[in-house]
Amino acid sequence: MTTHTIEFPYTRTLGPVIGPFLTGLRDGHVLGVRNRDGRVLVPPLEWDPATGEAIDVDFVEVGPAGTVETWAWVTEPTRKHPLDHPFAFALIRLDGADTALLHAVDAGSMDRMRTGMRVVARWKDERAGHITDLSFVPEEAA
Amino acid sequence: MTPAATEPDDDNSVKMMDYFMQLEYREPLCPVVRRYADQLLEGRLIGHQCPSCGLVYLPPRGYCPICVVETTDADETVLSDRGTVTNYTVVTPVQYYGQHETEPFVRASVTLDGGNATMNLQDLVDVPVDEVRVGMRVAAVWKPKGERSVADISNRSWGSAEGCIDGWRPTGEPDAPAEQFLGKATF
Repeated sequence: MTTHTIEFPYTRTLGPVIGPFLTGLRDGHVLGVRNRDGRVLVPPLEWDPATGEAIDVDFVEVGPAGTVETWAWVTEPTRKHPLDHPFAFALIRLDGADTALLHAVDAGSMDRMRTGMRVVARWKDERAGHITDLSFVPEEAA
Repeated sequence: MTPAATEPDDDNSVKMMDYFMQLEYREPLCPVVRRYADQLLEGRLIGHQCPSCGLVYLPPRGYCPICVVETTDADETVLSDRGTVTNYTVVTPVQYYGQHETEPFVRASVTLDGGNATMNLQDLVDVPVDEVRVGMRVAAVWKPKGERSVADISNRSWGSAEGCIDGWRPTGEPDAPAEQFLGKATF
């Protein structure tokens, strides 16, 4: 058996919306943007997916708690997953947001997961400005 | 609301993201390459000699693509670990990701004594880059038996002995005439 590894070390620019979003994560805030209808999109986008219109960048801080809209339990995480033990990928509508953010919920057990449950951000101590700077835990566990 | 720390023109803001993509493949070695690798660990270079045209393939492929005939263990031949530099390239390394070399180095084709078998992209050792020439006589520098590894041998590493041979060292013998290697294709 032989193993080959191909690596592509890209660096990409983040732009005027994702840059501040990830800067916010580094600094311990979750930011969304408000579209022309007043809805708050999290994660923030440069264009409104409903209309295709450019969004006037108007950041709104949301969370840090939110509600699970749907979820899937990951029984055997791979090394690329955000957590190294079983967890849920969930769509989480953070308080103050009108859309849901896909993120990991560290619930310990699938029995503790349910649609509609409340979760809250758990921040890493050392943050790099990356989506993995946080994950979520059930609110009662926080 | 825009928190002060996230102003886009704040020099401390996050503007770039590393986007590291990694693909890892695992593949079993085909039987003839497995045999080649096992023999490398023993310090032997083996090839298959086509029973039809007589060309030697190193590592063995299990077939001769010219005659379109199968080759088997019965066609196996042990090759010399001495040979002649029949072509070379001086590589001036650019420091792209993954490049560990910092100084110009040579990658040479070495045609083994006794036939056509040629190992490509070989390291030369103990010879300055500007002294390398076609016709130079060289001998394999084997790693000590316990330090050999065939982890980098793949089904496509034609002619490679990486992990078992450190490179090829000039023997000091008179050069072979360069003319005999010109205009030849190697296999």
